[in-house]
Amino acid sequence: MGMADSQLRVAIIGAGIGGLSLGLALQERGIQADVFEQAPELTEIGAAIALSANSIREYTRLGLTPELAANSTVPTELIYRHWQDGSRIAATPVQEDGWYEKRFGAPYFGIHRADLQKTLSAAFNPGHLHLGCRIVNLVQEPDAVRLEFANGRVERADIVVGADGVRSTVRRWVTGADDAIYSGTSAFRGIVPTENLRSLPDPHAIQFWMGPDAHLLHYAIGGHGESVNFFAVVETPKQWLHPGSTAEVHEELPVASFRGWHPAVTEMIQAAASPVSWALFTVRPLLRWYRDRVVILGDAAHGMLPHHGQGANTSIEDAFALAALLADAKGDTPDSTFARFQALRRARTRKIQRSAQVTSSLLHLPDGPAAQQRNDKVARVPQDFGWIHEYDTQLELQKIGCSPAPSSTGTH
Amino acid sequence: MDQNRSLTDITTTLASAAGINPAEVTPEMSIAGDLDLDSMTMLEVIVALEDQFGLLIPDDEWSRFVTVGDLAAHLQRAGVVAS
Repeated sequence: MGMADSQLRVAIIGAGIGGLSLGLALQERGIQADVFEQAPELTEIGAAIALSANSIREYTRLGLTPELAANSTVPTELIYRHWQDGSRIAATPVQEDGWYEKRFGAPYFGIHRADLQKTLSAAFNPGHLHLGCRIVNLVQEPDAVRLEFANGRVERADIVVGADGVRSTVRRWVTGADDAIYSGTSAFRGIVPTENLRSLPDPHAIQFWMGPDAHLLHYAIGGHGESVNFFAVVETPKQWLHPGSTAEVHEELPVASFRGWHPAVTEMIQAAASPVSWALFTVRPLLRWYRDRVVILGDAAHGMLPHHGQGANTSIEDAFALAALLADAKGDTPDSTFARFQALRRARTRKIQRSAQVTSSLLHLPDGPAAQQRNDKVARVPQDFGWIHEYDTQLELQKIGCSPAPSSTGTH
Repeated sequence: MDQNRSLTDITTTLASAAGINPAEVTPEMSIAGDLDLDSMTMLEVIVALEDQFGLLIPDDEWSRFVTVGDLAAHLQRAGVVAS
């Protein structure tokens, strides 16, 4: 193996969506990076993701969108509903009339994470994806960083990128602290065949069911909307005492947490039969995302609550921005390249992170005047949150004088 | 960093976000009312000031600032702006 000697040696820690996207984005710019993943195989756990225009426009340039589309469902509408009576509080078209794609220049996809990861890894040079490599130590050397892995492997790189998630090991090396914070909220999640959801109105819409101290979000995935992915958030436990981010819970707990809700909600949670609680962690806003030759991106840098569906999407934006700036560096020090990266990305991701935090409490209001005000607000979602979806990473790069991506016959 | 320079940095950043002349910014002005900055625009100001002063301003701090003076006082207490 070995990283190419003739050029910048970039080591990416983590083959999640951010890490693989960075590998592809660098490939597009003529830099072959190496990706190190702790898992022995690329098997994304059972969960889905919503890709929005701000990230899909990057994949489109790489030629990946047709394959993604074949495994995705475009939501019919975005609908907000009352937790108990199921009434439609607000709705915005997505696929209807091609509204979303016309407005934001790229589509919106519900897709299984495994399908996304498969598309990304298939487009990446397989000889440079290294599985079963869990990073245990980084050592600063005069002209490189030495990477030590649990399996005894040692590598050297000019640039190391931590794309290792909200509980990032690389971040600990960068900041010297564990900056992950448990949000006081956790989620039950599952994927259910659409045909089993008899009580569910508009099964192919993306829908928020909003109630006291909890909400449920769902959207369809697969090429024909054959499954529904849901994410049901509760304001418990107050403290997270388990070592990892998930914990098994009593089999009755998921349904019991939504007792009294609309049958569509309880039926969905019941059908998933998944007694696992997922802690929602965020990352405390950080002043610096880099140290020496090491930088972090995605959840490692700005882990956020998922209520705008932007965790993965902002990681993808980060990846394409960082790739462009590394390719544009022309002998600059890593420090100055990383400073440009952070200057481009920190305000945007902090805003989305903050907004998702505020949204969390808005989604959990009891019926009453505050909920009424919130309902007026969600009717304005397209106006209020268009800025998230209309973002164009390449345009932002051009504004700071960075060369645009080689336009686009794709990488394969 | 001398006091005047630092306070100038604050008013310049706020004025630029609000689209007004820095000379018009006074400590008594309210951020949401007089300067008409919504929370997302204010957060851009905060991130810019964090970069200038090398100091993190947590969300639960800046979201409580009502006036320009509250922001300046916070930076004074943190010791990055002379009082």
